[in-house]
Amino acid sequence: MIELQGLTKTYAGKNVVEDVSMTLETGEFGVLIGPSGCGKSTTLKMINRLVPLSGGRIILNGDDVTELPAEQLRRRIGYAIQSTGLFPHWSVARNIATVPQLLKWPKSRIDDRVDELMAMFHLDPAEFRHKYPHQLSGGQAQRVGVARALAADPEVLLMDEPFGAVDPITREALQAEMRRVHRQTGKTIVFVTHDMDEALQLATRIALLNGGRLVQYDRPIEMMVKPADDFVREFFGQADLGLKLLSRRWVHQYQRPPSLAHHATLPGLDHCWRLDDAGRPIVLEGARLDDQHRHTDVRAEWIATPEMSMKEALSRMVWYRVMVLPVVDGTGKLIGEVGMQGIMGIESDGGLHAGEPAS
Amino acid sequence: MSGAARSARPLRAASAGNGVLLILIALLIALTLGMAQLEPLFRALFPDLGNPLYARDSFLNLMLAHIGLVLVSSLISVTIGIAAGLFVTRPVGREFEPMVSSLAAIGQTFPPAAVLAIAVPLAGFGFTPTIIALSLYGLLPVIQNTIAGLGTVPQTTLEAARGNGMSRWQILRRVELPLAMRVIIAGIRVSVIINIGTATIGSTVGAKSLGTPLIAGLVGNNLAYVIQGALLVGLLAIVTDLLFERLERRYAFGV
Repeated sequence: MIELQGLTKTYAGKNVVEDVSMTLETGEFGVLIGPSGCGKSTTLKMINRLVPLSGGRIILNGDDVTELPAEQLRRRIGYAIQSTGLFPHWSVARNIATVPQLLKWPKSRIDDRVDELMAMFHLDPAEFRHKYPHQLSGGQAQRVGVARALAADPEVLLMDEPFGAVDPITREALQAEMRRVHRQTGKTIVFVTHDMDEALQLATRIALLNGGRLVQYDRPIEMMVKPADDFVREFFGQADLGLKLLSRRWVHQYQRPPSLAHHATLPGLDHCWRLDDAGRPIVLEGARLDDQHRHTDVRAEWIATPEMSMKEALSRMVWYRVMVLPVVDGTGKLIGEVGMQGIMGIESDGGLHAGEPAS
Repeated sequence: MSGAARSARPLRAASAGNGVLLILIALLIALTLGMAQLEPLFRALFPDLGNPLYARDSFLNLMLAHIGLVLVSSLISVTIGIAAGLFVTRPVGREFEPMVSSLAAIGQTFPPAAVLAIAVPLAGFGFTPTIIALSLYGLLPVIQNTIAGLGTVPQTTLEAARGNGMSRWQILRRVELPLAMRVIIAGIRVSVIINIGTATIGSTVGAKSLGTPLIAGLVGNNLAYVIQGALLVGLLAIVTDLLFERLERRYAFGV
């Protein structure tokens, strides 16, 4: 658990961060967001004292760490930044081992930890251990950067726009990976971004800052449906709030058992999956807007997984013009389906009903 | 680890140069030890000279004395130069940067002959004034490149180093110096090569070096002496330069 109490930063008589207080429980994924110059990055850097505090306190798991020597504090807090900041003269393995080496872990423990982290980020140790940062793609380098930040099993992980410099496709993959890593490790994470979609993908708590002040600190859905003021409302954007809500919904919440035989109940919605011997979907019969009797070969591009966001699932339905997507497990076996009409089916916690006034 | 590291670097240039380097080193040693064997050649080339081979000292002695001069003066320039470069790039010394840079530049604009002229009355003849002149003269490239090299370390890398809990000293030793090393070595290379050439003028104030036959040849109008001294100085400079090039390349990280 990390508590920020009245964090303040003054540059040349001007408060760039003013009295920011928030508590992030252990295991939460907190995202600091706001327009440029709102103080989100400064706030983050005050947590590991890269920016010295002008006022306030930081409580890390009950200890007041404000007076602790900065180096000691930083070894308890992981730190990952934009464009990775990997050490170009060190191999991937040595980069990941940075903090354990500073903490003087025995070599065998460091090696084990490096292998463990590389496995967690799907980097084959045999291939990547001895590579140098310039030999990595942007996505790989960023994974190494996050692995390095996690190496000494820190109490909190700070991430300063870590995916800001990678292309959109890689960024999405990294976000999905970050969600998985967060789930696996249960780490408390503080993450800075200016990208609302990224915040909604990742956050369990969002802190919106403006002009150095904390405007609202809440769960993502609360912020969307109960904005504290017009600034919050505007920042989240009104037009695609529905889609934004879907980006906080996961396929497994909407999944239903797959239809394995035809039953002509609803015109246009009747469909049936054909599977191969291993239980993988190969053909979809029906459920096409253009031709409801058509047989369509299932393609990897429109297969859903339980962890996929509903926004992404909806996007695939629209793009590939299919009314229903197969949901598969890790081995590719069909475990369910998710369909167009299902999107409306779930009572959203806090979502509005048609006809209700918008607060 | 080193295998993977090496494969990442351009190997072609290195292997192409290796043969040349070995031949030049062999030639340097052969000429140093066996200049006397070339006496018939020099006699044929300069039939008018009564004494076409410098014989007042062995070329091995002259070579070792020359290398000694360069080694000692370069050690002094490198030590002072890197220390000064480090000092003015730390927070405490930052305000001294312009002063140190211009002092070093003045050291370089002074002709070494002038420095010798000033140093002789203070330090006497021979080794010491030569060392003073060479050290001053070699200082600028080292200081400049130390400052430049430390300046090439990316801000994000430094921020990552701090954010991962390295102390100032650890950042300097583990991150800044290794990353700046290539540019620093390039500065040392320039400084040493300049000094190999400039050390010859030490002979005008009585320091033994490969400049001794050169000066003797100039004074006594003996072109053969000049060629013998210049040949060895030139070869020494080329070999040293190639060795430094190799050393520099070891510190190229993905550039």
